[in-house]
Amino acid sequence: MSIFTPTNQIRLTNVAVVRMKKGGKRFEIACYKNKVMSWRSGAEKDLDEVLQTHSVFVNVSKGQVAKKDDLTKAFGTDDLTEICKQILAKGELQVSDKERQSQLETMFRDIATIVAEKCVNPETKRPYTVSLIERAMKDIHYSVKPNKSTKQQALEVIRQLKESMEIQRAHMRLRLVLPAKEAKRLKEKLKPLLQVVESEDFDEELEMVCLVDPGCFREIDELIRCETRGRGSLEVLSLKDVEEGDEKL
Amino acid sequence: MGHTSLEKIISLQRNPANIRNLCILAHVDHGKTTLADCLVASNGIISSRLAGKLRYLDSREDEQIRGITMKSSAISLHYSHGDQEYLLNLIDSPGHVDFSSEVSTAVRLCDGAVVVVDAVEGVCPQTQVVLRQAWLENIRPVLVINKIDRLVVELKLTSQEAYTHLKKILEQVNAVTGTLFTSKVLEERAEKEEEKEKEGEKPSGDQVYDWSAGLEEVDDSHLYFSPDQGNVVFASAIDGWGFSIRQFAHIYSERMGIKKEVLLKTLWGDFYLNMKAKRIMKGAQAKGKKPLFVQLVLDNIWSLYDAVVIRRDKEKVEKVVTSLGVKVMARDSRHSDPKVLLSAICSQWLPVSQAVLSMVCEKLPSPLEMAAERVEKLMSVGARRFDSLPEQTQHLKTAFLQCSSEEKAPVIVFVSKMFAVDAKALPQHRQRGVLLKAQTHKLKTCPPTLSRLINMQRTRTDLVSLSANMENLTLKDSKPEEEEEPKETFVAFARVYSGVVRRGQRVFVLGPKYDPAQGLSTLPEGCSASDDVSEIPHLSCCSMENLYLLMGRELEELQEVPAGNVLGIGGLEEYVLKSATLSTAPACPPFTPLNFEATPIVRVAIEPKHPSEMPKLVRGMRLLNQADPCAEVLIQETGEHVLVTAGEVHLQRCLDDLRDRFAKIEISASEPIIPFRETVVRPPKVDMVNEELGKQQKVAIIHQVKEEASQGRSSDTLHLDSSGLVTLTTPNRLATVGIRAIPLPQEVTRLLESSSEVIRTLEQVNMSLREGKSLDISVRTLEAISDLKAQLESLLQGRKWRNAVERIWAFGPRRYGPNILLNSVEGYQRPSVWQCLSRGDKASEATALRDFDNSIISGFQLAALSGPMCEEPLMGVCFSVERWDVQSTAPPQHQDSVEDDSTDHEATAESNMEGSSETSARGRVAASSDCYGPVSGQLIAAVKEACRHAFQAQPQRLMAAMYTCEIMATADVLGRVYGVLGKREGRVLHEEMKEGTDMFIIKAVLPVAESFGFADEIRKRTSGLASPQLVFSHWEVISSDPYWVPTTEEEYLHFGEKADSENQALKYMNAVRRRKGLYVEEKIVEHAEKQRTLGKNK
Repeated sequence: MSIFTPTNQIRLTNVAVVRMKKGGKRFEIACYKNKVMSWRSGAEKDLDEVLQTHSVFVNVSKGQVAKKDDLTKAFGTDDLTEICKQILAKGELQVSDKERQSQLETMFRDIATIVAEKCVNPETKRPYTVSLIERAMKDIHYSVKPNKSTKQQALEVIRQLKESMEIQRAHMRLRLVLPAKEAKRLKEKLKPLLQVVESEDFDEELEMVCLVDPGCFREIDELIRCETRGRGSLEVLSLKDVEEGDEKL
Repeated sequence: MGHTSLEKIISLQRNPANIRNLCILAHVDHGKTTLADCLVASNGIISSRLAGKLRYLDSREDEQIRGITMKSSAISLHYSHGDQEYLLNLIDSPGHVDFSSEVSTAVRLCDGAVVVVDAVEGVCPQTQVVLRQAWLENIRPVLVINKIDRLVVELKLTSQEAYTHLKKILEQVNAVTGTLFTSKVLEERAEKEEEKEKEGEKPSGDQVYDWSAGLEEVDDSHLYFSPDQGNVVFASAIDGWGFSIRQFAHIYSERMGIKKEVLLKTLWGDFYLNMKAKRIMKGAQAKGKKPLFVQLVLDNIWSLYDAVVIRRDKEKVEKVVTSLGVKVMARDSRHSDPKVLLSAICSQWLPVSQAVLSMVCEKLPSPLEMAAERVEKLMSVGARRFDSLPEQTQHLKTAFLQCSSEEKAPVIVFVSKMFAVDAKALPQHRQRGVLLKAQTHKLKTCPPTLSRLINMQRTRTDLVSLSANMENLTLKDSKPEEEEEPKETFVAFARVYSGVVRRGQRVFVLGPKYDPAQGLSTLPEGCSASDDVSEIPHLSCCSMENLYLLMGRELEELQEVPAGNVLGIGGLEEYVLKSATLSTAPACPPFTPLNFEATPIVRVAIEPKHPSEMPKLVRGMRLLNQADPCAEVLIQETGEHVLVTAGEVHLQRCLDDLRDRFAKIEISASEPIIPFRETVVRPPKVDMVNEELGKQQKVAIIHQVKEEASQGRSSDTLHLDSSGLVTLTTPNRLATVGIRAIPLPQEVTRLLESSSEVIRTLEQVNMSLREGKSLDISVRTLEAISDLKAQLESLLQGRKWRNAVERIWAFGPRRYGPNILLNSVEGYQRPSVWQCLSRGDKASEATALRDFDNSIISGFQLAALSGPMCEEPLMGVCFSVERWDVQSTAPPQHQDSVEDDSTDHEATAESNMEGSSETSARGRVAASSDCYGPVSGQLIAAVKEACRHAFQAQPQRLMAAMYTCEIMATADVLGRVYGVLGKREGRVLHEEMKEGTDMFIIKAVLPVAESFGFADEIRKRTSGLASPQLVFSHWEVISSDPYWVPTTEEEYLHFGEKADSENQALKYMNAVRRRKGLYVEEKIVEHAEKQRTLGKNK
């Protein structure tokens, strides 16, 4: 009666598998969890902290090691460490819990920072702080989408936040110069796009200084350029109309 | 003594000679409020049984819970001394350092102060502070040595030891007074000498130096505390007893047949009683005899304590009781707690209120006796001398001194603080029915307040005031906002210095900057406050809606208040922020501002828990700002609402107030955001272990290029050469820019920063010039601009900066920051930014702007606004554009054919703008675009990127905001101060000793990032003996490189492989990056093997 004694079997725990298909074959390597992303971003420089073992597998969970021939055929080398590095850099992997968590957290912060940068409190014309925006985002239960750009999501967040708090995009201050002939007609068209008209001066040309939502800028620009055929002009006086300096209450 | 009716107090108010305005000052926990309780009990407002336990003047809930006073509160007491009746306006003040501003407000309104010192602890830091405050305000102090019972019960001293102990404490207190006195004399002397020097009367002949320092000439004996002077009371407020020498002298002169005057002189001091000769002899100590004080005074008290508390000897107690001739109720003598019996005996034998109040009445001045010196000090603001004030103003001094309540006398009132009162608590809002109900309710629960309530009821039946109340009610009701919610109303804490204040009277409100000379010249003679005075700065009018008598927790309505009294004024919240001077005479100068011992120093950012409640928070903070004399509230450019308070306890109180009273919302307080700046420096000559760096630097750059190339970051459009020049081509390969980053000399940065206003106007002028408009510039601005230019030229010397000032392209960020864009493009003669200076020769302006000039500037502005390290603004960096090639071969094409969302929104926005304005100007020549978007937009992005890369090619450094920190500390805590400073990366600039005192003044710089909790730590470590002040001063480069890693052998040895031990700059940088959600080069898990293998749920 023989007793099965696995003397030379190495059990791998905490494995994150990185896979790559090359030359029609699938190769896998066994890594530690939460480490592959750090390696890819360059924060982790010690390869031994990433790889569980320097061997390349066909199937990690079954413990099948890749054949040397296949490796040389696919990678052109049989240096296992070199191959592991290639797979680490280009292979596909399952993101581990902490990696995902930290990624979402950074994105969440990033979105909040962008929102805080772009928006003001319409009553005081002062920006909100990032932490306040973060709290507001949590209040409306905003969930970050990892595959959408933070900027896009920020614009979406602003729209949603408007329902729960006093917030708006910081206005741009523009100066429009319109030739006298088209001025009247154009002004009618522009009116819905302009938030606040600060000054209006009509002698030979119509000169207006106004605040607009940054989202409408393209529209206004286009309108003026097309309608006046280049004789009107548009100038940005400030990108963000906010109060500057500290204020004592 | 029975309770006093309101009428009585009103009648007493009319006699200023018998009014005493006093405050109780002491270190925290030395028994101010307990003493105040005893005094309040003497008027029957609270039961004497509860005196010392109730802490009647601590009306706030948190005051009661924490057991410390947090605000100054006033109460009017009646006391008959001899055949005179006195009115005492007593102000209890907090002792904690954080609330020393409240002490300032109290001290200002008083003529005298009762300084309380713990008999065990002696002179403490705050004792010194309050003595100094009393000194500075010229008010006369008297001393109460409190808690003598602790000497008996806790320390178990013998009466002889206690005597020496008390003597020591007295010496300590007098030492503090002495220092104050010497420093004042020295100061005066220094002033005199300065004056002499100014006059130029230098005695050239005699070189004899006067060493006497003038100290000997000035008599200071009246300043000191001494029992035989009658300005010291020994007391135990908790047990309800206290005495002055006078009382015992009185007793013993009868009993022993010694003259009272002799006893008064000898009872304190080194005298003893020779029993045989029945004479009092000198030199008790030398002969080993008991001093008189011990024998006659302390021994009696000691034996009483011994009998009652320590041995609890019933028979002896009875003997003592009968010998003292006091009556003790059976209930008290049977009580299990001996303290009850003790206080029952003591409060009859030596009532503390009697001792203190008689001392107050005798020793403290009445409002009539105000020192002329003090008046002058009050009236001369800042450095102005009293003599320089207008004549009419000087006449007011006599009004002050007379303190008359005549009709003609001008009204002068000083408001030292505003305090918030719940609108419901105001007498005119309390309705009768409710009051009665409350009374019956209270009667059941709280017997000691019975007398007070009856008293109140009597007041209420006063028909006049009642009708006035009704009137007021209807008046208030007509205001719609009043009905919305129970609002906080502000009552001004004030004192009448002259004249009679009446309800509804109109007065001038004098702001701190008001100049009586100006007011007098513009106002017609004899005008009153009801006239229109809108045109005079810092002067406004208001009417005093309501007048109140301050009775601790209660307010009583008054119709008029004559001079010399402390009162509350309602209806001023619109006109007075924190403190003000009110007067009917426009000639009256505003009083000198209160001098605060503690300046606000602890900063926190405050946010509402729910973002939608922002307006409520702002309103609440506004109210808080008004209600607290020391809190500061400001909104920063970042949108943060910052609250600055004097200390942690003060902060806690402000937050509680905000939460429960003013804003009524959930709030959270956090560390404020700390700004940083990014800059580049000259390449270092030595490495981290002071090894000479030779060619290594260049090697490092080459190394960097290689690294970037290998990591695939560098594309074929970006090229970095070894000298730090970055060349970048736009994605459509039409334009190429070459940019180099150069550190600006420190002086230049400082100059640019300080003259941002000038640069801003310069930019505006240039803008209008470019449009072809001519703007009229005043000569002064032109001068300022040319001045700036000259200064820049003088600072930018050397081969590298040749002709640099002329070549300045722009300033940034926001067109006026401390960074420069330099035009070093060969063959591009751009009109200089200084063109407004040379307006004479217009011919030079022929050199027109090249296309897309604006795009370069915009790119630079964007780059300067957020640096590559942690997206903070740059500072002190010069970007020199050395190459700029544009191939304008692309076919003209309509611009808006392509939408480009991927590039930075702002950049595109701006690019469109640039593009359009230029197309319009030149009839759409270069509106070329392709799949990469408009050229101008691409150029902006390219310039921005190039700037960032050029920045990164130089050694980068972080700049931290620095505070200058001034610390006053005594010599024995200097070491700890240095310890705290060192721990927080502070640097001591210099320290010097304050003349005539043992205080050191240390000046240091401290990074703002390290200042959170600094004040608290330094106070804790030095037990409150050092008080810091922080003021923002400048930006300073942090010398360590945030990206530094060891490269040489020696560095490995010194710093290890990771070198992450103490890199301050890296720490700051990562903190900012993490806050902003930028990528931080950090491992998620430090050690791969040390992760938990279990699943989440196990």
